[in-house]
Amino acid sequence: MNKIVVFCLMFGSLAFSSLASQDNFSFDDPAERALFLRLTNELRCPMCQNQNIADSDAMIAHDMRRKVYSLLKQGKSEQEVIDYMKARYGDFVYYNPPVTFATVWLWLLPVLFAVGAGLVIIRRRKPALPEDMAVKLEKANKMLEQDK
Amino acid sequence: MKKPLPMILPLLLFLLLVIFLFQGLFNDPRALDSQVKGKPLPSFSLPDLMHPEQIYSPESLKGDVTIVNVWGVWCVTCAVELPYLTHLSEQEGVRIVGLYFDQDLDPDFGTKTLSRVQQEVTEMLSRYGNPYAFNIFDVYRDTSLDLGVTGAPEHFVIDKDGIVRMHHIGDINERVWENKVGPLYRKLKQELANSQTFQESQISQSGGE
Repeated sequence: MNKIVVFCLMFGSLAFSSLASQDNFSFDDPAERALFLRLTNELRCPMCQNQNIADSDAMIAHDMRRKVYSLLKQGKSEQEVIDYMKARYGDFVYYNPPVTFATVWLWLLPVLFAVGAGLVIIRRRKPALPEDMAVKLEKANKMLEQDK
Repeated sequence: MKKPLPMILPLLLFLLLVIFLFQGLFNDPRALDSQVKGKPLPSFSLPDLMHPEQIYSPESLKGDVTIVNVWGVWCVTCAVELPYLTHLSEQEGVRIVGLYFDQDLDPDFGTKTLSRVQQEVTEMLSRYGNPYAFNIFDVYRDTSLDLGVTGAPEHFVIDKDGIVRMHHIGDINERVWENKVGPLYRKLKQELANSQTFQESQISQSGGE
C-alpha cells in the first residue's frame, strides 16, 4: 500500500514538473487552439533545426510560440502567421517548402527516375524481331525437312 | 559495347552523388539566408539598458558604420568574444552597439528586476571588457525576432544609412574579423569617408559661390 502511495506521489510530481515547464496559452475558441497547435507543429525552430517550435525548448522557440499566440489573438490568419515568420527566418522556417526552381527537383527527380527506369525496362524486354523469327522458323523447317 | 553512354551512366550518376554529398560536408547548416540583409533595420523603440529614460530607434544607428552585437550575460560565447570586441572598439575605433536581451526575463511574468539585470551586465563588462558605445535593451525580444536572431551571439553590420549589410551568426574572433566581417567594415567605412569628403566639397563649393 505504501509503495503505491509513493509511486503515485512520484508520478504526480513528474506530471506537475512537466506541466510547469509548459507555456500557458489559453484559447476561447477550440478552432483557434487547433490552429495554434498546427502552426507550432509546422514551424521549424531556427536554433535546433530538427525540431518544430512546439517541441523545442530553445528560447527562440519560446519566443516564436509567444509570437504565434499573440498574432492569432490579433486575428491573423494561418497564412499571415506563416508569412510573418518567413519574413524573418526565410522559407526555412516552414516545414512545407515552396515550389521554386531550386526545390522543384524534390518532386521532379523521383518522377523522372521512375519514368527513366520504366523506359529502360521496356527497352530491355523488347521481343526479337518478327523477321528474325520467320528466318529462324524457315531454318528449323528446313532442318526438319532434311531429317525426314 | 555498342552504346558506351548507358555503360558509364551509373558511374556518372554515382560521381554526381559523391560530389553532392562531398560539398555537404562543408555546408554550415546554421548559415541561414538572412532576410534582413540589404534592408533597413526593422523599426523599434527600445530603452538604453543602463539609462532606461533614453529611448533608441533605428535612427540612432545612422551616420556611422555600426556593428550591432546581440548578446546576454547568460551566453558563454559572448563572454569569450568580449575581450576581442573590446580590442576592436578601443584599438581600431569600431563602433559596437549591444542589443541586449535577457533569457531569464519572462516578459509576461517579469521575474527579474531591471536593476538586477544592470548589475549582472556591469559585473560581466568589468570582468571581460566593455566594447559597447551603448546597449539597447530588447525587453520583449521582439526586435531580435524581427531581425531573425536565432540565439546569441549574433552580429549585424549596419551601414551609415541604417541598412543591414551583413548578418553573422556566431562570435567574432580574429579569424572571423580578418576574413569576413572586417573587409566589409573597412569597405563601408571607406564609403562613409568618401561621402563625407563629397559633402564637404559640395558645402565648400556652395559656400564659395
